[in-house]
Amino acid sequence: MDTTTQPTTTQPSVIEKVFDFVDERVGLKTLQAKMLNEPVPGGSRWAYVFGSVLLFIFIMQAVTGILLMFYYVPTADHAYASTQYIIHSVDYGWFLLSYHFWGSTAMVVCVFAHMSQVFLWGAYKKPRELIWLVGLALFGIVMGFGFTGYLLPWDQRAYWATTVGVEIMDKTPVLGDFMARFLKGGATPGQMTLSRFFVIHVMVLPAALMGLAGLHLFLFRKAGPAGPFRGSVEEIKAKTDYFFPRQIWKDIVGMVAVFLAICSLAFWEPIVLLEEATPDPGDYHPEPEWYFLFLFQLLRLKVFAGEFGQFLGAIALPGIFMALLAALPFIDRDPERNIFKRPIALISWIVVMASILIFTVAAIINREFLE
Amino acid sequence: MQPKLKSTVRCTDGEVGEVRRVIMDPLSHEISHIVVGGGTAALVERQVPMGQVQGVTDEVVTLRGTSAEFTALPAFKRDEYVTTHEVEIAHLEERIHVTPGEVLVPFPELERSVKRRTFFANFTHAIGFLIGFPLAFPVLRYLMKPMYSPFDNDWLKIGNSSKIKQDDVGVQFKYKRKIKEAYMPEQEIDKNVWVLKATPKVLETIYQGKDMEFRDSAGKHIWTNKKDVPYIAYSGKCPHLGCGFKWRTHKTLGQVFLCPCHLSIYDAAGKVLDGPAPRPLDPLPIKVTATGDITIIDMEFKAGTKAQVRIV
Repeated sequence: MDTTTQPTTTQPSVIEKVFDFVDERVGLKTLQAKMLNEPVPGGSRWAYVFGSVLLFIFIMQAVTGILLMFYYVPTADHAYASTQYIIHSVDYGWFLLSYHFWGSTAMVVCVFAHMSQVFLWGAYKKPRELIWLVGLALFGIVMGFGFTGYLLPWDQRAYWATTVGVEIMDKTPVLGDFMARFLKGGATPGQMTLSRFFVIHVMVLPAALMGLAGLHLFLFRKAGPAGPFRGSVEEIKAKTDYFFPRQIWKDIVGMVAVFLAICSLAFWEPIVLLEEATPDPGDYHPEPEWYFLFLFQLLRLKVFAGEFGQFLGAIALPGIFMALLAALPFIDRDPERNIFKRPIALISWIVVMASILIFTVAAIINREFLE
Repeated sequence: MQPKLKSTVRCTDGEVGEVRRVIMDPLSHEISHIVVGGGTAALVERQVPMGQVQGVTDEVVTLRGTSAEFTALPAFKRDEYVTTHEVEIAHLEERIHVTPGEVLVPFPELERSVKRRTFFANFTHAIGFLIGFPLAFPVLRYLMKPMYSPFDNDWLKIGNSSKIKQDDVGVQFKYKRKIKEAYMPEQEIDKNVWVLKATPKVLETIYQGKDMEFRDSAGKHIWTNKKDVPYIAYSGKCPHLGCGFKWRTHKTLGQVFLCPCHLSIYDAAGKVLDGPAPRPLDPLPIKVTATGDITIIDMEFKAGTKAQVRIV
């Protein structure tokens, strides 16, 4: 047999040549090595998946969002009809819209999980204060996405959530009236509101999120992962591995789990629109999305009655809470990261979570009372 | 002092080679080992823990043991390590001072004569500011265009009083209102008000013995609701946070106006009985003709304030 015509193993294939050509100009190999070879102190963990999962959810929201814009029209006279068209007439439109809707819910859930993990692990402490601050800004952006996206289908649910949401903003001292009118583009929700929310939802917030998420990751890489909150240096070193493959594997499993959960919800609980938006609520009992129910229930309390009470419940309380979160790394300067040695932090977390749970359940129980 | 690359390595009984590489500890960011090779005794590169190093000068690294002990140390296995270029460990490179000396590139000729660097940097910032600043006001005004519009004080027919069968009972009147928003075609939106045929007792609670005057922001008189006219129209918007309230039977309070959002409860006179609302329901200007036709001026007030602030 003639073996001389066989290519020798030392000769690069066309694909290798193309890769080398690009690599020489871009530095792909170094980039890839830098991306993947990040030591994870103490080894990979399931608790670390939420950041990557959030990035995944955001990418899917961007993809489904762009697809929805192929049919959606952001005008007061066509928004509702075009959304109904997506649901009823466009192939798989119901699925993409429902995916986008449940994806936003998944985003909120994962943001809570991510923030809780960082809080409990004490990972916001020096030198990671800025990562925490940028993270809080990202949290605000996610809430902004939820709020602006909710109006776009222009059904009754959308209209009333916006009406009440903007009225709450209106309670901000001095600037409230201006802010509320600025957002609505007038005195009441209408075309101007829809245009504004649409632009904010599809242009302003995505740009802000991409920029800040990039900064978040850059700062994270700059400081390095915090690692576990207990264990000796030797133990941590012995268990250390790189981001690839073990952590990436866990991240991917997390993404698949979230993806399947969103798909299932979209499949079994697809979006159904209510009547078209109008200032007459009819029989509809306005209620926000479930993750805002606790705030909604909070505003029903007698303590938050009257003009001042409302300011207290709707503006001051959430404002103080966010300000405390922002100040956290600067107040809590104790380098101790073990959550079991930080009783105030642990108790605060439990109290906040329990309050959210109790108020949410109370809001759900109140529903029956209204029937 | 950190051992430098190419430094000569000496044992108690003589030279064994030179520093070929250093190994960093990824957690402490300190040098943990040096790799020694090149000498006659060291054909194989060996890995020496820093604990074995007795002294470091600019050019010489002295080890504690003899050259025999040195050759007993484990051989350096290259495939158990990666270079610092292939891995991302925050702040590691800042801690390495093992390069044999400074690595230099020439400073360009033209740059050497430039003195006022700070001035040029600030000048660049100033230009950026000069581009951005004049735009701020026009952009703000651009975005504010439709925020404030004059009120519409036209009378709107909403139905006939024959629909009201009982006194002091809230009856919802739904009506359509035409709106023309900026460039949009004229649209009809659904709205509602609650109309009440009030008994003198309820009227007294509402009017407190005085007629109710409606004036525009300039103080010009628009309309007066006479205190003895039994018909009252409440704006359909809850004064708490703007939801739509309903006429409902309450277990203990009887027939009331109830807002399903935050559970504000008002009696027939619009007075707050329970819940977070900051003020009573908002009566609107109402006219009832001899044939029973009800017309109103469709006003809306800001929710959540103690005082009535008209916004529509």
